[in-house]
Amino acid sequence: MARSSVAIGVIILLVILMSLLSYLPAPGYEIKYPSYFGDRIFIPADNPTTEAGVKLGRMLFYETSLSKSNTISCATCHQQQLSFTDGKKFSTGVDGTMQKRNTMSLANLLWVRNFFWDGRAAGLEEQAKTPLTDPHEMGQSLQISAKKLRKKQAYPSLFKKAFNSDTIKEAMIVKALAQFQRTLVSAESRYDKYLRGEYKPTVSELNGIALFYAAPDPIKGMRGADCAHCHGGPKTYTELFQNNGLDSIPSDRGRELFTGNDFDRGRFRVATLRNIALTAPYMHDGRFNTLEEVVDHYNEHVSNNILTSPFLRNRSNELNGKQLGLTNNEKKDILAFLHMLTDSSFISNKNFSNPFSK
Amino acid sequence: MTFKYIAGIFLIIGFSNFHLQSQTPAKGTLKISGQVEKQIVLTAEQVSKMKHVTAVLTDRGGKNVNYRGVSLQDLLGLAGVSTGSALRGENLAKYLIVKCADNYEVLFSLAEIDSSFTDRVIILADTTGGNPLPVDKGPFRLIVPGEKKPARSAYQVREFVVKFAK
Repeated sequence: MARSSVAIGVIILLVILMSLLSYLPAPGYEIKYPSYFGDRIFIPADNPTTEAGVKLGRMLFYETSLSKSNTISCATCHQQQLSFTDGKKFSTGVDGTMQKRNTMSLANLLWVRNFFWDGRAAGLEEQAKTPLTDPHEMGQSLQISAKKLRKKQAYPSLFKKAFNSDTIKEAMIVKALAQFQRTLVSAESRYDKYLRGEYKPTVSELNGIALFYAAPDPIKGMRGADCAHCHGGPKTYTELFQNNGLDSIPSDRGRELFTGNDFDRGRFRVATLRNIALTAPYMHDGRFNTLEEVVDHYNEHVSNNILTSPFLRNRSNELNGKQLGLTNNEKKDILAFLHMLTDSSFISNKNFSNPFSK
Repeated sequence: MTFKYIAGIFLIIGFSNFHLQSQTPAKGTLKISGQVEKQIVLTAEQVSKMKHVTAVLTDRGGKNVNYRGVSLQDLLGLAGVSTGSALRGENLAKYLIVKCADNYEVLFSLAEIDSSFTDRVIILADTTGGNPLPVDKGPFRLIVPGEKKPARSAYQVREFVVKFAK
């Protein structure tokens, strides 16, 4: 009698415990990054990164049923082997239309606050809505996407684990995608190994690093390219929007279209240089096919007009020079440094690859 | 010959146009937000009517340049930011973030700006040499005198945000 009531008591307790466990938040996902990237990271309070959320987000990233035609996923234009770009000047959407701007690479997004070339989306969750729903991109409303996912066998339980919800809601799709993309940290390049004392750079690479950080000062005889003025420290990213003097009259008005401010004409995001050797073609309109052309632009062809960033005008290695004036060897050294930023482990990391391919 | 002549005229027109453009005062407003008693937005015209003082900045060539503008303390006072005798205790853990049009940001502790702590007067400049600031630097530029680098004398200032250090 006493024994059976103890057993019943234990069973009841277990049931209560089990039901309590299902209400506990999913285990957190620790995003690892080097201390020299700094802690100025952005994770919204209502979308903490969890193991289950990242797992789901990775599947959604490669899920073609999120497109109207069931043929393209985020990964169609954001391919891992190209640091999540597609090598095209402009990617093509479900309706065959080309995008207006070049597909951006996805690396170290944890430090980005405002997305797209013009910074119009505050946060990855907000950003994800555009490519998913734009008729010229994946072309499907979040409502239909949620409906399609509800009918697929794997998803209801994955959403349950990630968001503790019995139904798949629209907002959860973008939240899971954002969680996965926050884990895309690239910090294993040769430059990282150099910073950790594990790699000895060549003479050319070392000079490239020095030129990247130094501002030119012909009076003091200091040679420099001052790339870091906008591209920042080891992350090679600071959230700035600049007109980099591509044109005297920009055909794409850039950030001005979002802010309405004429001084933002032709301003675009200063892109990360991480994996830059993998993400050709370059600039918001993919006008440059090679990094050599990009370096030539900054060295010789910056449009000297009032809209161009003052940090790119009349900054020269020559006294009273109008253009940067690096020598051919110095340009090669900068290129050697840019190639140091390629992270082969990032593009082969199995945690970021297509979970559907065996 | 004729072609060269026409090209020459176009060049002259082009340059004079460029010159005009660079002298056109930049539009824009200044917002003061965050830990303030009241959030305010000031137009360039409103700022131009406030009491002006001179601050000196050493430019990249080592030359001293005079700028005219409104003291940062006066501007923050308008929004009810703790200044002067109120800048004590936990208010000393407050800081100001200066936000610029290109998203550049620089930071000051409130005590760095306050006349009860320092004689240095930081200004929000709107003119130099009697002219409005050029489009690429104005309408407002912060002038922080006495610093070895001009990195905090930020161009195209758009917003001041006051926050508590957490």
